[in-house]
Amino acid sequence: MKVTNLGEFEELVLLVIGALNDDAYSISIQQELREQTGRSPSIGAMHSALNRLENKGFINSHEGGATKERGGRRKRFYQITAAGKSALSKNHELRSGLIKLIPGMNTQTGLG
Amino acid sequence: MGAKTTKAIEPPKWANRFLEWFCSADQLEILQGDLYETFQFRLAKSGPLRARLLFIKDVFDLMRPFAFKRKRSYSSNNRAMLKNYFKISYRNFLSQKIYSLINISGLAIGLACFLLIYLYVQDELSYDSMHSKADRTYRVLELFESDGVGEHSASNPFGVGPTLINDYPHLIESMVRLFNFQAPVLSLKNPENNREFNESRLFLADSTLFDVFDFEMLVGNKETALDGPNSIILTESLAYKYFGDDDPLGKQLIFQGEQPLLVNGIMADAPLNSHFQFDAMISYSTIKHFVPASWMARFYWNPNWTYITLHDNSLKAELETQLIPYKDKYFPEDKREHISLQLQPLLDIHLHSNLDYEIQANGSASNIYVFSTIALFVLFIASINFINLSTARATKRAKEVGIRKTLGSKKSQLVKQFIFESLLYTFSAMLLAILAVLLILPFFNVFTEKAITLVTLLDIQFIIAALVTMVSVGLISGIYPALVLSSFDPVKVLKGGHLKSKGFSFRKVLVTIQFAISILLIVGTIMAVKQLDLLQDNNLGFDKEQVIMVPIMRTPIGENFETIRQEMLKLKDIQYVTAVEEIVGAKNQVGMYHFEGMEVGQPFPRLSMRHDFLETFGMELISGRNYSEDFETDDEEALLINETLARQMGWTNEEAIGKYHLRSRDRRGKVVGVVKDFNYASKHQPISSLVMDLSLSPSSFRLFIKYMAIRVSGQNINESLGELERVWKDFIPDRPFQYFFLDSRLAESYKAEEKLSLLTAIFAGLAILVACLGLFGLATFTTEQRSKEIGIRKVLGIKGGQIIGLLSKDFMRLILLAILITVPATYFLVNSWLDGFAYRVSLEIMPFVIATITVLTIAFVTVAYQALRAVSINPVRILKDE
Repeated sequence: MKVTNLGEFEELVLLVIGALNDDAYSISIQQELREQTGRSPSIGAMHSALNRLENKGFINSHEGGATKERGGRRKRFYQITAAGKSALSKNHELRSGLIKLIPGMNTQTGLG
Repeated sequence: MGAKTTKAIEPPKWANRFLEWFCSADQLEILQGDLYETFQFRLAKSGPLRARLLFIKDVFDLMRPFAFKRKRSYSSNNRAMLKNYFKISYRNFLSQKIYSLINISGLAIGLACFLLIYLYVQDELSYDSMHSKADRTYRVLELFESDGVGEHSASNPFGVGPTLINDYPHLIESMVRLFNFQAPVLSLKNPENNREFNESRLFLADSTLFDVFDFEMLVGNKETALDGPNSIILTESLAYKYFGDDDPLGKQLIFQGEQPLLVNGIMADAPLNSHFQFDAMISYSTIKHFVPASWMARFYWNPNWTYITLHDNSLKAELETQLIPYKDKYFPEDKREHISLQLQPLLDIHLHSNLDYEIQANGSASNIYVFSTIALFVLFIASINFINLSTARATKRAKEVGIRKTLGSKKSQLVKQFIFESLLYTFSAMLLAILAVLLILPFFNVFTEKAITLVTLLDIQFIIAALVTMVSVGLISGIYPALVLSSFDPVKVLKGGHLKSKGFSFRKVLVTIQFAISILLIVGTIMAVKQLDLLQDNNLGFDKEQVIMVPIMRTPIGENFETIRQEMLKLKDIQYVTAVEEIVGAKNQVGMYHFEGMEVGQPFPRLSMRHDFLETFGMELISGRNYSEDFETDDEEALLINETLARQMGWTNEEAIGKYHLRSRDRRGKVVGVVKDFNYASKHQPISSLVMDLSLSPSSFRLFIKYMAIRVSGQNINESLGELERVWKDFIPDRPFQYFFLDSRLAESYKAEEKLSLLTAIFAGLAILVACLGLFGLATFTTEQRSKEIGIRKVLGIKGGQIIGLLSKDFMRLILLAILITVPATYFLVNSWLDGFAYRVSLEIMPFVIATITVLTIAFVTVAYQALRAVSINPVRILKDE
């Protein structure tokens, strides 16, 4: 898998993982997404995206943190990798570079 | 989960199970955890119903590629795996050579038997099927019967064929008659090179022969070759016999020493799977030189085999109903009520027809059943062996399985491995079997008088049958050991805990079945041989030894018979000379007789003969007198009957003498003597009534007297034969002198039984051999397994004999159980086979005893051999090996 493109949804997920820092696992990512964007992806869609991200090398995962409501099953926690970070900033640069070219857009505000 | 006080609300179990089914193991825990966590969240927020519904939705939503179980990951390794299977199979073969060889060769023997019998049965079933119209072709039968006595004739009067097709053209498409005077031999001669032979397979056939049958014409025109009188079509072999390498077409052959025939075509030799074999076909119209038109017009004499092809098979029923008015229209009044005509499907003739005057002896369906049963039994025993030995070896490979499991082999992989191995073994056995069949086939063909070729092996049906047999045997034999082996618990195995193979009781069942079948086969073989002995024994009621039979029908002997007879009687060592209608002990004819006390005449079995008949054949007169040359009226008036006939008429042997019979409306004759019953037909039928009718008219040699019978004494038969031939040549120089011995000819009529019993014996022997191989393997195995036990017992002072007892006890018990099971089954099966014979041996206890002792002995010897080996082993060697 040498595809290193980031899909729109993937990019969001990756951003949330970065934001959540050490507490990023599927359910918390899902909640954060809902709060930030109002989207509520299904568990299947979440894991599908997480798997893709992991295959592309943008995130790492480790298991742990079994809880009662999970029936004693472990969680899979995700961390953003260096490649993930650089992909995010590349995306960011691309967008901010492009947005400057649009007449009448204030580049100093908007994206932060 | 909460405490048990409130019942926790759970997500739907089935959805969960469904998830577990499709989801790959490395994803399952996490996904399940997420689902449960979400479920609890939703449960608190929106209640159980919604939570459950959403759970189900989420499960189905998870059916995404990343979550599925992955098979893909093994596939890259498949070839390596197969290579490994091969390697392990090979090493396993090497490390357990004896088992492996027993396993493979046992199965190979079983498969070879099965294949041979399959080929044989295929061939038997293929009779007459080469004709394209075979399915709508029928032979017309004439049943002439009254009070259960009479003839069931495969042939008809001359007029039946032509009148049938003439009267019912809308039903019958074509018709052909075959006719050979029902003479044992007819002569042919090439006048150019004086090659002259008596031929037994010549027929006169209607020009429509090729409309009914698809025999292959090599040279000449099928449509016209038999059109005119005095034409003959030769088969290739016969053409070579008379003409060598010359072109026979358009040349002449002399038929019966008088009638020139023109060679009009060459046919391929008769296919061996045709129910009648022929060497030449002569145009039917040639008959005018031999049979007067007035005879042919009468519906009495019935020597014509008549075949009809219907336009369509659905017309058969209609034709059958028409046959009743038909026979009343044509058959003479006094025969009419005793006659019924029937249609016999051409394809049924070979296996199901056993009538009077068959062209040649047919096969028998019961043989096919017997063979098929044996084939299945042998295959079954071989498969049982295979299963037994494989499961027995299983325990030896338990460690291998344990390690494979520890290293991550799945149960399905192990099953695959063992089935693969079993298929590999089956496949090798199959190759061996086919090789064996190829080697045996030539001898088998000679023995069965068939021409099963290697080409038959390339038949698609055969290949499919072989593959199906192979794969199913492989699977059946492999699947049980595969399941047993793969279910071993690796921890137990590797700890070296004693493995009580669950398979043993199952194996016991199989061994029991195997011995039950072996006993059945042994008893069956003994009975088949005994039955054959009974059929062939000398107790026919007459003396068949030292009788020379000379076919004389339609030779010019008639005028000179008495002179020739007297000349022959002058020779040294010639005791009696007579002439008779049929081969005594094989066949008879039927005549109408009207005895005192009967309303009308009835058909009775009959033999016509000349003087000295009783003397020549050594038959015994019970009352009255024999025919005598001193009574000139004997030919016209006197009759000899047998005991059964007297009994049937309600006469004692003495009362019978002097009873009258009506020769014609106003001429009476008398019964002059009663002859002790003898088997005039064959032991396939019980003795029924018989009339022995003196027939001195010279013309009788043209119609029914077929053989001269000569009793010789002394040792020098060759010399006698030379002198007989000299006398013959003096009187009938233009006919070859041909003869056969009565006893050897009679033995031939039991050929079918002889072959059956020999084949049964061979195949049964092989089955028993295979069973022994299995027992040997199993005994070896058990002994090995108990070697430590024996070692310890030896240290403690057990004696050799006791060890043998210890080891054989189990097997002996199984065999005794097998006997209990098999005796009733065998009794039933063998009895129903024997019931098919008029003369049958009774089934007594002896064969069962013999079979039991045989099996017990073989088993004991096999086990004892192993036990002796165990006895001679030094216990220290076994015990220190830990």
